[in-house]
Amino acid sequence: MNAKTVRRFWIGFWVIIVALLTIAPLYWMIATSFKNYFDLGAFPPNLFPNPVTLVNYQHAFRLYHFQIYIENSMIVSVTTTLLVLFFGSLAGYALGRLPIRGRKVIMVALLMISVFPEIAVISPLYMIMRTLGWLNSYQALIVPYTAFNLPFAIWILRNYFLSIPYEMEEAARIDGASGWRIIFQVILPQSTPGLFTAGVFTFTAAWTEFLMALTFNSIPQFRTIPVGIALFGAQFVIPYGTIFAASTIAVLPIAFGVIIFRRAVVSGLTQGAVKG
Amino acid sequence: MAIRVSLAHRMQRHRPTRYLVSQGWTFALPGLLIILAITIFPVLYSIFVSFNHVAITSSGFKLSWVGVRNYRTIFSNSLYQYSLVFTVIYTVVTVLVELILGMGVALVLNALSRGRGFMLALLLLPWSLVTVISAEMWSYIYNGVYGVLNAILMGVGLLNHPVTWLGTPILAIISMMVADIWKTTPFVAIILLAGLQMIAGDLYEAADIDGASAGYKFWRITVPLLRPTIALSVLFRVLQAFGLFDLPFVLTGGGPGHATESLALLGYQVMFQDLNMGRGAAIAASTTLIVLLASLVVLRVFRAQVEEGAS
Repeated sequence: MNAKTVRRFWIGFWVIIVALLTIAPLYWMIATSFKNYFDLGAFPPNLFPNPVTLVNYQHAFRLYHFQIYIENSMIVSVTTTLLVLFFGSLAGYALGRLPIRGRKVIMVALLMISVFPEIAVISPLYMIMRTLGWLNSYQALIVPYTAFNLPFAIWILRNYFLSIPYEMEEAARIDGASGWRIIFQVILPQSTPGLFTAGVFTFTAAWTEFLMALTFNSIPQFRTIPVGIALFGAQFVIPYGTIFAASTIAVLPIAFGVIIFRRAVVSGLTQGAVKG
Repeated sequence: MAIRVSLAHRMQRHRPTRYLVSQGWTFALPGLLIILAITIFPVLYSIFVSFNHVAITSSGFKLSWVGVRNYRTIFSNSLYQYSLVFTVIYTVVTVLVELILGMGVALVLNALSRGRGFMLALLLLPWSLVTVISAEMWSYIYNGVYGVLNAILMGVGLLNHPVTWLGTPILAIISMMVADIWKTTPFVAIILLAGLQMIAGDLYEAADIDGASAGYKFWRITVPLLRPTIALSVLFRVLQAFGLFDLPFVLTGGGPGHATESLALLGYQVMFQDLNMGRGAAIAASTTLIVLLASLVVLRVFRAQVEEGAS
């Protein structure tokens, strides 16, 4: 064997190790969701569910009403994403293209806010929500999620807008187009990759957020998926089968979205390197 | 930068700048005000609350000024001191391990000629996973009675009898770190990979001609050129790790005892289980201060890179 073959062998070896370590825990979760009650507690455990059963999925929906959590998560995440893209586009355009004083300071401040620990704001926000009577409502999550995801979206969108040539915008201005028309008819149609990146990040963040959802929306009717799953195990026996059935369903939309929009996600990660 | 002549300059010929300035603020203000109201204001209000005793009444909250009493209480509390030390050690260890492993993964993927897109998609899965779900998954894997980790380790002969991984403090801490490292190493690897791909190949070719070793190339070419990328990923990971909450909440509940109680978890418990908002705010404010100082240090050290991105 020459040096090149040896090198290729080792690269292939490590790629397989990385892939296995990444996928194995996920496989275990999904496989477990199809196991029956006796199979769940078997030791040593069986590598494959045998027999395959859907009883955990039935329990998740019929017994634990998981569809309510999915609906809540959907409403909160979609609304948050739309609001963030709207306000983020306006602010990103202004900070990228228009002569605002103190742009640099604002951008650095936004970067720092986007990584602030949630625990820093949770008690005042709780007090405000309680005073407003907003506890256990959709706006209790949509408003803070919008505020927390805006800084990163502004960064992503502003950087994307900067890469668009000025000529069309300038021509539109000379023709007397308003700022609104320029944003919506000139800038945004050329910015779909940037919008996807900001959108996927915001949606993922809203879909996975736990602390605020746990604190503000504690009653079952308004729980989101993470809260619903975390509180499944509040009894003496943790119903792992049901938890993993629910988890598998919760993971699917994000997993597909992330794989389909892989380029957008990677460009977002590498641009701002924010969130994890 | 020469190419990015601001629109203001280019537009001056057509319209007064004042018009564009006011338009700029019209577009920027709604978003900035939301951020100001929901993030900056609560942080400041939280600092104010931390100097008060908060009585919860049926109609709302009644604040009474107590000065630094909340801070005196928490700083002399052994639970707080432990949480602080635990969170700092946890952050340093996990970020360091993730950086080393992430660099390894990035180097392997960078050397890959085919299937890199597939691997990237695979690596994005743990990153996008809900932390709560990841925690449930690992708690089943670590289970002392029917956990698959025990089965694997006993199968290859590393263990004679099952271990309760989350049962003793030191094992619980390590187990939690492993779960965290599994989930966030891909994030670090993806960022470092992007940095690696920006390094020009002819630098390595030149080094090869000079007969440089692989280690020399790594430490003298790769690491220095990757410095800004490393810095940014470390900054964000540190800030995130310091807010650790979801993982211990589900995986260990802060236990056994208080072994895995992070600052955020302690703050949450003081606020919403002991219902002591003032003291909880003091814990939150002190955490924020540490995070702020840490990010200021990193921003200062890597000032050029961050400002370049903002200009």
